[in-house]
Amino acid sequence: MFKFPEGLYTDVRIEDVYETKIIYTMGEIEESKERTYKAAFIRIFDGEKWYYNSISNIEDIQAEIDLLSQYANPNEHIEENPVVKKFQVNKENLLKFKDGDIKKISIKEKQNLLKEYFPALQEYEFIKHWNAYYVDRKIYKEFYSSKGSSIKFDNQTTGLTIKMKFAKGDKHLAEAFQKSSNNINDIKGKIEEFKSFVSKCYDFLINSKPVEPGNYTVILSPIAAGVFAHESFGHKSEADFMIGDETMKREWAIGKTVGKELLSIVDDGNINGNGYVPYDDEGTRAEKTYLVKNGLLSGRLHSATTAYYLDEDLTGNARAINFEYEPIVRMTTTYIEPGNMTKEELFSEVENGIFIDDIKHGSGMSTFTIAPSLAYYIKNGKIADPVSISVVTGNVMETLNEIDGLSNETEIMSFILGGCGKMEQFPLPVGFGGPFVRVKSLNVQ
Amino acid sequence: MIKEKYITNVKEISLNVSQSRIDSVRNKNITKTGLRVYDNGYIGYAGAIGNYDESDLLNKALSTLDNRISYDFGIEANKKIHEDYSTEIIDENKMLDEFETLLSVLREEQPDFYFSHKFNLTDYSVNLINENGLDLYHKDRFISLGLLFKEKKSLNIMDGFVGFEGRKYDRTLALKDIFHVLNAYKNKVDLPNKNILPVVFNTSEELPFLKFFQDLDGNNFGSGSSLLSGKMGIKVFNDNFTLYQNNNPNDIPVPFFDAEGVVNKNYRYSLIENGIVASPYTNKRISKKYNLPLTGSATCEYDGVPTLGVPALKVKESVKTAKELLGGEMGIFVLMTSGGDFTPEGNFAAPVQLGLLFDGEKFIGRLPELNISSNLFDMFGNSFRGVSKDNCSLLSTSKYMIMDMKVSKL
Repeated sequence: MFKFPEGLYTDVRIEDVYETKIIYTMGEIEESKERTYKAAFIRIFDGEKWYYNSISNIEDIQAEIDLLSQYANPNEHIEENPVVKKFQVNKENLLKFKDGDIKKISIKEKQNLLKEYFPALQEYEFIKHWNAYYVDRKIYKEFYSSKGSSIKFDNQTTGLTIKMKFAKGDKHLAEAFQKSSNNINDIKGKIEEFKSFVSKCYDFLINSKPVEPGNYTVILSPIAAGVFAHESFGHKSEADFMIGDETMKREWAIGKTVGKELLSIVDDGNINGNGYVPYDDEGTRAEKTYLVKNGLLSGRLHSATTAYYLDEDLTGNARAINFEYEPIVRMTTTYIEPGNMTKEELFSEVENGIFIDDIKHGSGMSTFTIAPSLAYYIKNGKIADPVSISVVTGNVMETLNEIDGLSNETEIMSFILGGCGKMEQFPLPVGFGGPFVRVKSLNVQ
Repeated sequence: MIKEKYITNVKEISLNVSQSRIDSVRNKNITKTGLRVYDNGYIGYAGAIGNYDESDLLNKALSTLDNRISYDFGIEANKKIHEDYSTEIIDENKMLDEFETLLSVLREEQPDFYFSHKFNLTDYSVNLINENGLDLYHKDRFISLGLLFKEKKSLNIMDGFVGFEGRKYDRTLALKDIFHVLNAYKNKVDLPNKNILPVVFNTSEELPFLKFFQDLDGNNFGSGSSLLSGKMGIKVFNDNFTLYQNNNPNDIPVPFFDAEGVVNKNYRYSLIENGIVASPYTNKRISKKYNLPLTGSATCEYDGVPTLGVPALKVKESVKTAKELLGGEMGIFVLMTSGGDFTPEGNFAAPVQLGLLFDGEKFIGRLPELNISSNLFDMFGNSFRGVSKDNCSLLSTSKYMIMDMKVSKL
């Protein structure tokens, strides 16, 4: 398809993208657009340095390859370069979303999906402001390399978000109702669930009181647990932070105990949703990677470069947010595997604790932080009064050892707005999830 | 019908640093064109990345008039301003060699650390032009030097960040800034034995402004869902606290106009003036809807309708240096936080992963991990000491913002 220059490794990623974005504010339409574009990212490697170019005119790909190759120093042994040797050669057409193609659904139907919520939204006087978003994205990717890879695959996501600002007297709350899936039919008919969510928010608005700061036993909901897994451990498992770093290699030796035996954390690009990445942006097939298995460090996430330097297997985690960026090591769908307690059993053992039901955001390095939006006291094993909290924090490694209970079902989720950020690349669509997770002690402020 | 074009171009050279060496060079040159059509109080829109066919783009924009998105707010007219802030910062062809040299100095003189991340040289232009005689053009060039550092013996994936963004580059000054932080990092010190301490933020740090982004949003303010709703004209903050919406390219690399072509006097708009709430930030739609001042805070995707964006904020500087604002006390300079946020009531808390003890001129040493906490109305009220007249960095225009907060070890 392309004429690749001699003595250099070259790959080309072409992205054919269709996106819809609809926004209503207080019932008035503010945005309703369909975007399509086709663009490409080219990489050339001479064994010493990488040279990249992102282009928006795909008819120029060959010319750009030829131009970019002039910056590189051809190397007749490039195929023997250990990083180049790591690259897989795959040939596959993996088109999974021909049925239920969101491109074929009219924008009217997508608008109507949001309009179903308007009567309910207008009914509540304590919802002072709201925005309703519908977003979908279908991407068709092609990947070609000078080693012979030729891959085509697709993915699509669709979802809605209702962002609401609640106020009554001096009390305020910002919350969002979110649904997403690969199939638009999955996000239809959620009005009753929405109304129940609004009732919960109203109760929080009226009855929440500032938390008494201190250390508590905390139970994380699946969404909070998923963000915790992503922020606290997922980022630490991205191997690009470890290249050439002997301290980190020693500290993060495979087999080391990092948590209680009940804890297993997985990253898997094969799972449907925002983190579905059957081939990464270096053409590597997705793997199910145990980061932690039964409390032991079991694996980490790799690009070809990091897999070579750490002498480990490829995992399919080299990803770019779009055609303007190079692939770097990123997560796909990261989740905590379920345990063996029922949700009720998990709560029943907590005399005085905090339940984090929903969150605004999370982040994590050696210390992780979760900013809850909906949280409750747990008193005598039961969810009690709503409580307003700025942040919940803990040392990542200590917290992994403080996890003493997991419920028996894992829920996997995706959000259609936002995503994961790493350095300059934000937002990257990812999936995350977990069961209800109990942590013996966390600092709550 | 009036046609309007919104054209942006980003040309960027990006050098990626891994293990204190440059491992890749990325070139980018991307033009995005948005076409808006205004007809009988409605707006149509379309966009293209790279090359496009003019009539296709127009037809697509016309077809979106069927969405009946109202736009009856007065379209900017008869205004031609072209401003070019780009200067010769560094020869593009010598950029790779220059930063290889800078890294070799760091490898040699700071052998205890690994460095990673990016050096970017960015050329940016934006042009808003319409058939009513509007022609606004902003051109800029800036350099971003951002290095994550990690102590070789550390178990963290990163320990801190050094860098700047601005329109000038000088290796000696850049290294002086970097060494200032790294040398302080190597010196472990204790937290002063007081519950309340002066906490110092770089004014480019967004964390202390999070609540303003949310509660000065014109939608939240106008609909009554902001903590500051109903407080327009009322003094709720410190006399010395004045907050601007900032579109002034002399302060930071931003265009001097917003996505609807609004140009403010001095390219700033006062949102809080001497402690009095003056206005939330608004675009034309929000300004009209809630009868609020128009502050020119519209943003726009290249192919979409202008919407309310989150503006850059600037706090008015005091006449004092950081040392004078500290008044002989030691401050806690917040270099790196992990999350942190406000509750709906305005209570604030944040874990500080890397804080440096600061005497107003020099970083003295590295503090243990900390919690800082306060409340919005204290942080910018009685506890607010001010923003310094002196800059944090020799190569950027950021200042020190100082306020008293509760500080404790994590």
